[in-house]
Amino acid sequence: MTTNDIVMLDDGPLIDADALESALGWTLKPEGLCKDDTCVIVPDRSALMSGDRIDVTAVAELLDRPAAHDAESGLVAIGAPRELRRSAVNDMKAPDFTLPDLDGLPMNFSDHRSKKRLLVAFSSW
Amino acid sequence: MIAVAVDEDVETIRGAADGITYPVLIDADHVVTELYAISNVPTVLMIDEGDNIVQPNWSAYASDTFKELTGIDSETQKDHIRAWVKDGTLRMSPDEAKGAVADLSAEEEQARLFFRIATRLRNDGDADGAERNFVTAIDLAPHDWTVQRAAQPLRGIDPFGEAFMELYTAFNEAGRPYHGVTGH
Repeated sequence: MTTNDIVMLDDGPLIDADALESALGWTLKPEGLCKDDTCVIVPDRSALMSGDRIDVTAVAELLDRPAAHDAESGLVAIGAPRELRRSAVNDMKAPDFTLPDLDGLPMNFSDHRSKKRLLVAFSSW
Repeated sequence: MIAVAVDEDVETIRGAADGITYPVLIDADHVVTELYAISNVPTVLMIDEGDNIVQPNWSAYASDTFKELTGIDSETQKDHIRAWVKDGTLRMSPDEAKGAVADLSAEEEQARLFFRIATRLRNDGDADGAERNFVTAIDLAPHDWTVQRAAQPLRGIDPFGEAFMELYTAFNEAGRPYHGVTGH
């Protein structure tokens, strides 16, 4: 998991087919939704398409990722794959993440693996 | 120790982090609250050398500032943490830990995404669009502090003023829903 795994699109939810890979890392092929050597079967291709464009929120749901769409601005937010959170709450395995430190430099939680870690979520509010 | 600020106010966090030597990360997009089903702060997790969560989401405090409200003794909590660091003793058994944190509901998931859209619109200078999406997020998860309270400073509301007691009262009336465990 990296912060790249959350997605924000400016003008959705319909995108060009060739924009799907840069948005979600998957491409729509005759055999299904594919990434590297893995393909997910698409049960109803028409549910993903509007004309020759792809509904990225429908693709996200097929990949078990939540999606939200603000119609007025066109912004689409796509969350992390749900299996990552299930790994935390059901399997007690800590999902990795990447966040900037106070100087804006990215740090991976996994940079500190093989140590006992206290993860503290706090805030100014 | 790794501290994650569920916040976008880097300057305030920088002030609070002055002199601190462990990593302090900024989670303006609430990535970690989505990944770990965190619904309030402070939330603390203990994670062992093998990436196992041995103490899931725990409402644990560094000081007794909120003891009157929470009834929680921070020193007892810190003793638990020290014992784990020292000899691996845990306050919860693996069976107790498993299933101690409820997964996010569909609404709570959506709330995090609309919060993210609102933050983006706010940063783009679209105050009305930001407010519209903050309200959508809050309607979806009205008792989630990382949604409603985190939005307050971004909406020009004082998170320590009247809005705090209003949210606190509603939270209590809803049975204090928290994704995780509370207590010493």
